[in-house]
Amino acid sequence: MLADAIAAERFRLSRDRVALFWGFGFMPLVAMLFSMAGDLFVRLVLRKGVPGETTVDLANRAMGAVAGASGPITALFLLIGAAAIFAGDYRWETWRLITPRNHRVNLLAAKLIVFAEAAAWSLLLTAVTAVLAGLFGSVVNHGRLVGPPTGFLGHFAGVFIITWLEVLLIGALAALVGVLTRSTLGAVIAGLVTVFVQSTLAATMQDTTWKSLAIPAYAGRILKTFLTAPVGFRPEAGPAGLALVLLLVWLVVLAGGATALFRRQDLTKE
Amino acid sequence: MSFALEAEGLVKTYGAVRALDGLTLRIPAGGVFGVLGPNGAGKSTLFRIALGLVRPTSGTAKLFGAPAGQSSSLRRAGAMIETPRYPPYLTAREVLRMLALESGAGGTADIDYWLERVGLGGAADRKAGTFSVGMKQRLGLAAAFFTRPELVILDEPTSGMDPAGIQEIRALIRDLADKEGVTIILASHQLDEVRRVCDRVAILSKGKLAAEGDVEALTGGKPRLRLTVSPVDKALAVLGDKGEAEGPNAVLADVLRAETPALIRALVEAGVDIIEARWREADLESAYLGALEPKDLVDAR
Repeated sequence: MLADAIAAERFRLSRDRVALFWGFGFMPLVAMLFSMAGDLFVRLVLRKGVPGETTVDLANRAMGAVAGASGPITALFLLIGAAAIFAGDYRWETWRLITPRNHRVNLLAAKLIVFAEAAAWSLLLTAVTAVLAGLFGSVVNHGRLVGPPTGFLGHFAGVFIITWLEVLLIGALAALVGVLTRSTLGAVIAGLVTVFVQSTLAATMQDTTWKSLAIPAYAGRILKTFLTAPVGFRPEAGPAGLALVLLLVWLVVLAGGATALFRRQDLTKE
Repeated sequence: MSFALEAEGLVKTYGAVRALDGLTLRIPAGGVFGVLGPNGAGKSTLFRIALGLVRPTSGTAKLFGAPAGQSSSLRRAGAMIETPRYPPYLTAREVLRMLALESGAGGTADIDYWLERVGLGGAADRKAGTFSVGMKQRLGLAAAFFTRPELVILDEPTSGMDPAGIQEIRALIRDLADKEGVTIILASHQLDEVRRVCDRVAILSKGKLAAEGDVEALTGGKPRLRLTVSPVDKALAVLGDKGEAEGPNAVLADVLRAETPALIRALVEAGVDIIEARWREADLESAYLGALEPKDLVDAR
C-alpha cells in the first residue's frame, strides 16, 4: 500500500541526516547567517549604521526569502536532497531489498510525496530563518519593526505554494533523471544544468506568450507577480492561469515519466 | 501438488547474452529446494524475475500460481538476492524497521527476535554499512524471514560466513522448513551445503534445466561405509545383502551410522582384518559435474 511505502520512506529520510541537512536545511540556515553577518558588518564596521530611521518588515522578508527559494543556488542543495531520495537506492544497490515488498508505483510515489513534504518544511524553515534574521537585524541596528501589510497571509500562502510547486518540479526532474541514469550525481548535474538554463532564459524573456510561460522559472515569476500585486494594480489573470496550468503539466509529465520508466525498469544490479 | 515457483519457457536476454534460455522448472511448495549451476547459469536471473526485479523477455514465471512480481504474490515471499546491501546510515534494527514499514508489517514484525536468531542481537544498533560480509548476510537472512513469509528465496546465503556461522545458518534453514513449514529455495555453489540442507535439487546450465530430482536420487542414495579389509569374501559373508565389493580389497556397507561399532566387532570376530573404515558421503559433485557439459565448466571459470 502507498501509506506503507510513505511511512517507510519518511522513516528512512528521517535517519539520513546528511541528505536532510544538505538538501533541506543548509540553505535556509546559511541565508540566515549571511543576513546576520551583513547586519553585524553594518553595525561593527560601518559603525554609524544606516542614516535615518531604519525599519524592518519581517513579513516581507519572509515572503521574499520564500519567493527566492527556487533559484539556481537553492536548487543545487534541493537537488542533493532529491538525488538522495530518488537515486539513493541505485547508489547503495538497495532496490533488491525494497522492491519485492511493495508495488513499484507506490515506491516511487512515496518518494515524490516525501520529497514534497521535506520541501515544504524547508520552505517553512526559510521563512522562519528570514524572520529570525530580521529580528536580529532590528536589534543590532536599532531598526523599527513594521507590521505586515493588509492581506499578507493570502499573499504569503500564494507565494509559498507557487515556490513549492517550482521546487516540486526540481524534485520530479531529479526523479526522472535519477531513474534514467541510475545515478545520484547524474540527477544533481542534469537537474542543475536544466534549472540554470531555464532561469537564464526566464530572465531574458520580455513578452508573456505560451512559449515563455512554458519555462517554469518564468511561469513562477508571472504567478508570484500576479499574487503579490496590490489590489488595483493586479495584471490580467489569463497569463497567470496559463502559467499555473503549465507548471502543473510539467509536474505531471516529469513525475509520470519517472514512474512509468521505473515501473518497467530491469533492476539487474541494484 | 501446489507449486511455490513455476517457470514456463522463461527467456531473458541482456543484449547478446541469453541469461535464461527457455527454462521450465516447477518448484513444489514445502521443504528446501536447491538450485545449482555454474556462474552465469541463470540462477540469479530466475530469482530476480520471480521477485519482479527483472522482466522476462518471454515466457512466464509464477509465485504460488500468481504472476511473479505482483504485490499479492510478493507479500507471501521473502528473499535475499546476492550479497545484500543496505543504506549506510541505517542500523541493523532500522533496516528491519524500514522493511517492516514497507511491507505493511510495521506493528507485527518481531525485529529483536530475528536479530537474536541470526546472531546479530549485539550489533542491532550498529550501522549496517560497517558490517562484515558475513554480518550483512545474517542481516539479509533476518530481512528475508522476519515477516514470516511462506516462501523464502536465498541466493548464496552463507557466502562470506565463518564455518560456525555456516552451520548455524544451515540449521536455521532446515529448522524453518521442518518446523514452520516455510518453503525455501536455495542457490549455492557449495555442493556440500546443498546436499546437507536440500530435499530436492535442480541443476541449471546456460539458462536451461540440466537435471532435477531428489538429492538422494541424484547422489546415488544414502552415505555408505567403505571398509578396506582382508579377506574381502569373509567380510562380504558377514555383511550379507548389506555389502558389496568395491575392488579387490574393499567393501561398501549399507548400514546406519549407529550400527558401525557392532558391524566392526562382528567383522573382527569373524577374523576379518580392517585396514580402514570411512564414511563415503553421497556424491552430489559427480551428479553436478555429470549434468554439465565440459564446456559449461570452462565457460564458468
